[in-house]
Amino acid sequence: MTSDGPVNAAVAIAALAVVSVATAVIGFYGLRISRTTGDFYVASRTVRPWWNASAIGGEYLSAASFLGVAGLILLSGTDALWFPVGYTAGYLMLLLFVAAPLRRSGAYTIPDFTEARLDSRPVRKVTSLVVVLVGWLYIVPQLHGAALTIRITTGLPSWVGSVAVVIVVCLTVVAGGMRSITFVQAFQYWLKLTALAVPILFIVFMLAGADAPELAPPAVNPTGAPPAGLYQNISLLVALLFGTLGLPHVLVRFYTNPDGQSARRTTLIVLGLLSVFYLFPTAYGMVGRMFAPDLARSGQADALVLLLPGELVDGTAGDLLSALVVAGAFAAFLSTTSGLVVSLAGVISQDVLGAGVGGFRLAAVMSAVVPLAFAFMTDSFALAGSVGLVFAFTASTVCPVLLLGIWWRGLTDAGAIAGMVTGGLLCGGAMVIGAVAGAASIPVWLAQPAAWSVPAAFTVMVVVSRATAGRVPRTMARVMTRLHTPERPLATER
Amino acid sequence: MTRVRVTAPATPARVSQETREAAQESDVGQVFVRSLIRSQLRLALVVAGGFLVILAAFPLLLAVVPGLAETRIAGIPFGWLLLGAGIYPVIGLSAWLYIRTAARNEARYRDLAGDQ
Repeated sequence: MTSDGPVNAAVAIAALAVVSVATAVIGFYGLRISRTTGDFYVASRTVRPWWNASAIGGEYLSAASFLGVAGLILLSGTDALWFPVGYTAGYLMLLLFVAAPLRRSGAYTIPDFTEARLDSRPVRKVTSLVVVLVGWLYIVPQLHGAALTIRITTGLPSWVGSVAVVIVVCLTVVAGGMRSITFVQAFQYWLKLTALAVPILFIVFMLAGADAPELAPPAVNPTGAPPAGLYQNISLLVALLFGTLGLPHVLVRFYTNPDGQSARRTTLIVLGLLSVFYLFPTAYGMVGRMFAPDLARSGQADALVLLLPGELVDGTAGDLLSALVVAGAFAAFLSTTSGLVVSLAGVISQDVLGAGVGGFRLAAVMSAVVPLAFAFMTDSFALAGSVGLVFAFTASTVCPVLLLGIWWRGLTDAGAIAGMVTGGLLCGGAMVIGAVAGAASIPVWLAQPAAWSVPAAFTVMVVVSRATAGRVPRTMARVMTRLHTPERPLATER
Repeated sequence: MTRVRVTAPATPARVSQETREAAQESDVGQVFVRSLIRSQLRLALVVAGGFLVILAAFPLLLAVVPGLAETRIAGIPFGWLLLGAGIYPVIGLSAWLYIRTAARNEARYRDLAGDQ
């Protein structure tokens, strides 16, 4: 039915099949070399910085980055440029405040870290709950992205996309664990970059002779939301800057570095990879604004990246370029979802099912199927926006406990729990109100809660820790020493 | 089903780390550790603050100089170039500076702690 549309359905289906099969094959190849429980979780910390950085990039660049950023730029112009900037700068904050100490903590997951730092089981339970919530919330937009891609490019029903992603991810994770995931993710970063870069470079060279039309903002606003003001931009940046350093699937990657210094080097490479990548969604958004502004009017902004090559390039070349972006988009959903599933499965299997490879596999299936149900129940709205809210939630919960745990000696278990619960309730409450009432009908301070929910979580955490100063764990000095001192043996061992 | 705690294996490096930590719990050792943490935190805050100032300066510059955002370079408005591409080198440079200085702080700590 869509063969007369901008994307050839047969070509799109072929592209999807190739990406899925390639992902599964690399995953099964990984099965042969990952055998022990340690292999399954963190690839035994033997991953090289370049591989690791590519894998982090592959995992981080989600549906929001691949489709959502370009769509949002098409809708709101330069205001939307803060999204890619925030997604990248979040990694700078992660490098500055978290990367090396977290690696040196020697923990496998965020709950491992908070338990070790605060010497408290209840803190571990609350952190696990928050991490699982974040992961599930973050998988839902990926599945929405997959549903949108399948619907627009093949004409099949939306649910096929979400279900296909969940099946491929479960197979890969269950088969190979983190070791194979590292290879899959690294492969998918480069696939995503190629899939975005080749079509847009082709289009730019093709259009080079043509006069560039005005970049005037299209006089449409399909979401009905008010245009972004200063408050929204600042709140969004707060969410993205502080949210990245609490993302569970990003943090679990840092345990795969051999030491703190190489965790920093890996982050530097990641920053380079992200900076290069985000030039391309920006270019799609800009070219889309110039040459295909009607896509914004028809409410298909999130599909801009998928549709632009077919709109602007005719014939077989257009089909092939479309197939490439479809493949890249699917790689984005697969890689982010599998990264999240691995980190969630680590948490669920340790805290709920009892560790071990069998528990990990069952937990992996649980981590993927629950968000699938969420995705069926909810409707997708702007992808970049919904992912931005997940960042706000992470920034209000995981981020304060990580930052204060790493840098402040006075943090107590009571303070950590009070802060995470406060941040989670405030930000989660705003998200629920927004989802029920509709994003367009609530005031901006509710639609973008990060600017007040993040400071509130920090304040509560500090105040309650001060009030319960007697509860600072006795192991604190030793743990702080481990977090911050370099690993190499001292020059003079006695 | 027995619960098995997943921990890293007790490799020689890990054992040596634990004996090292015990040595560092002396009062003198803790002074050095505290000063290392303070200098790393100060460094991180300075780099983050500097980056945020530059980040805020970009849109301010566009707002203050009239017509600058619309000036076209190779067909692309300057405002798009600045926000869409110009911020990334600043991020990379901040990260590079931070890594160099953080490693230097650690080397200084190693010298101090080794001299005990």
